[in-house]
Amino acid sequence: MFVPSITNPVGDFVRELVPQLAAFLPASLQSDTLNSIVAFLVNALICVIAVCIVNIGSAPILIYMERKVCAHVQCRLGPMRLGWHGTIQTIADVLKMLFKEVYAPSGADKLMFYLAPLIVLIAPFIVCALIPFGRNLVVADVSMGIPLIIAVNGFGVLGILLGGWSSNNKYSLLGALRSGAQMISYEISFAMILLFVVMISGSTNLMSITLGQEGTIFDWWIFKVPVLGIIAFILFFISSTAEMNRAPFDIAEAEQELTGGYHTEYNGTPFAMFYLAEYIALVTNSSLAVTCFLGGFYAPCIGISFIDQYLNMVPGVIWFFAKVFFMIWCYMMVRWTFVRPRVDQLMDFEWKFLLPVNLVLLVAGAAFIAISG
Amino acid sequence: MFPSFSLPDLPLAFPLGGMDIAFYAVAIVMIVMAVMTVAVKNILQSAIFLIFSFVGTAILYLLLHAEFVALAQIMVYIGGVVIFVVFTILLTSHLGEDAFATKIPRIFAAFALSIAFVFVMIKCILPTPDLSSGAVNAPEGFASLEQFAVRLLGYGPDGFIIPFEVVSILLLMTLICAITVARKSKDEVETGNQKEAK
Repeated sequence: MFVPSITNPVGDFVRELVPQLAAFLPASLQSDTLNSIVAFLVNALICVIAVCIVNIGSAPILIYMERKVCAHVQCRLGPMRLGWHGTIQTIADVLKMLFKEVYAPSGADKLMFYLAPLIVLIAPFIVCALIPFGRNLVVADVSMGIPLIIAVNGFGVLGILLGGWSSNNKYSLLGALRSGAQMISYEISFAMILLFVVMISGSTNLMSITLGQEGTIFDWWIFKVPVLGIIAFILFFISSTAEMNRAPFDIAEAEQELTGGYHTEYNGTPFAMFYLAEYIALVTNSSLAVTCFLGGFYAPCIGISFIDQYLNMVPGVIWFFAKVFFMIWCYMMVRWTFVRPRVDQLMDFEWKFLLPVNLVLLVAGAAFIAISG
Repeated sequence: MFPSFSLPDLPLAFPLGGMDIAFYAVAIVMIVMAVMTVAVKNILQSAIFLIFSFVGTAILYLLLHAEFVALAQIMVYIGGVVIFVVFTILLTSHLGEDAFATKIPRIFAAFALSIAFVFVMIKCILPTPDLSSGAVNAPEGFASLEQFAVRLLGYGPDGFIIPFEVVSILLLMTLICAITVARKSKDEVETGNQKEAK
């Protein structure tokens, strides 16, 4: 009899608690099998709730942050009226969006139209479950974390293609095709950078990738491999920006040309789901960058023990989220700083520049490992 | 208080663990999705149901502790093949919009063929010893990524380095062919430049 188990202190706590509670049940309901199944289900429920809280809870914060960053880049103030500095504005917007009527355009393929936002949400949720937020805070500590991330990213493309096609609108279809072509192209370099990280860290498990960066700031993969680490980090930043369809690579939406791209026809909750997927992808990609390059949940120690002991007092989760929000801030600054390239320029950039550089980087990484032993 | 009723006897008479329940759930979903793939009139919808059928297959591989095969299934079939099928449908005008129907004799032929196939499958699988006694999945870690890589790139008698290299040459050839097909010839480039100049 095999019952899958979730290994972390919370899981152990539940596994101890369930038999104690089960002792109150009638005797015929008491068996180790039943207890382990119940413990597994309770653990799974806790994991699902945790992932949902991180994902759905971060979206309003990010929307507020995006508005503020955008406003300050453009010398405006952004939302100011509702609450202190407009903090309740996003909640009001979310409520408005949830209470809107949901309808599909005439001639749309109803099944596909409502399925597409759900498919888009698959990839960010699965990736979020793999991220180690702290030493014991990881939902799925699987040995093949990075191949799984590469594999599930394909669902994003699928959802966007379906959403664009089923809207029965030429703008949507064009936006979806553009976005699909872009995401498929940039997925290659995204995967290659992750492979570079796998190569230098010697593991595909995100937890052991993080654990390999213990020590000072110079043990993080971005600095541990001289020059190559920084190049890889920049390439990861570019390709993940394109992977998320964020500006300056937002030709999928391109308001001026396509009136909104693949989600032109969406409104209410389905539109909110597309929006949510975009912002969760922002969190997960930043978390990936932090896990793979910026030391995960380790404090940025600088090698002076007097300062380091105070830095190490702060819990790992707080360092993790501080780094994640720094990365998100970087993505937002890039979004509001650079201009959008044309479609052909975008494709040329991927296939003629990013991909060859990635291949050279992989070879250089292999050479570095061979030389340094 | 509850009288002692024999509820646990009902499911546990069958060797039913979490994995068995998961297997039957996934198998039912897979079968439904496979039937939907061929039954749905719209070609794009059948591509989507095909995807969910593939996801079911990947989960079956996961249940058998073949993680890498499961991920390869998702990467190759969903991330690659079906996405290109969907792309082709979207780029072909009106192919995804009209319903299509097959002729009756073809349906009969298909039924006959598939029943024959199922018969052959059952005939081949049932005589396998230890089919019903369980313990069919590999031990955990048997097909892990490290084991997989060591076997795949091994030089020894149980290594697969030569097929691996041959496949890589095949892939290189495919890439070169794709570039040759896609790139413009010199004439096209020149006429294009002239057009731009005009």
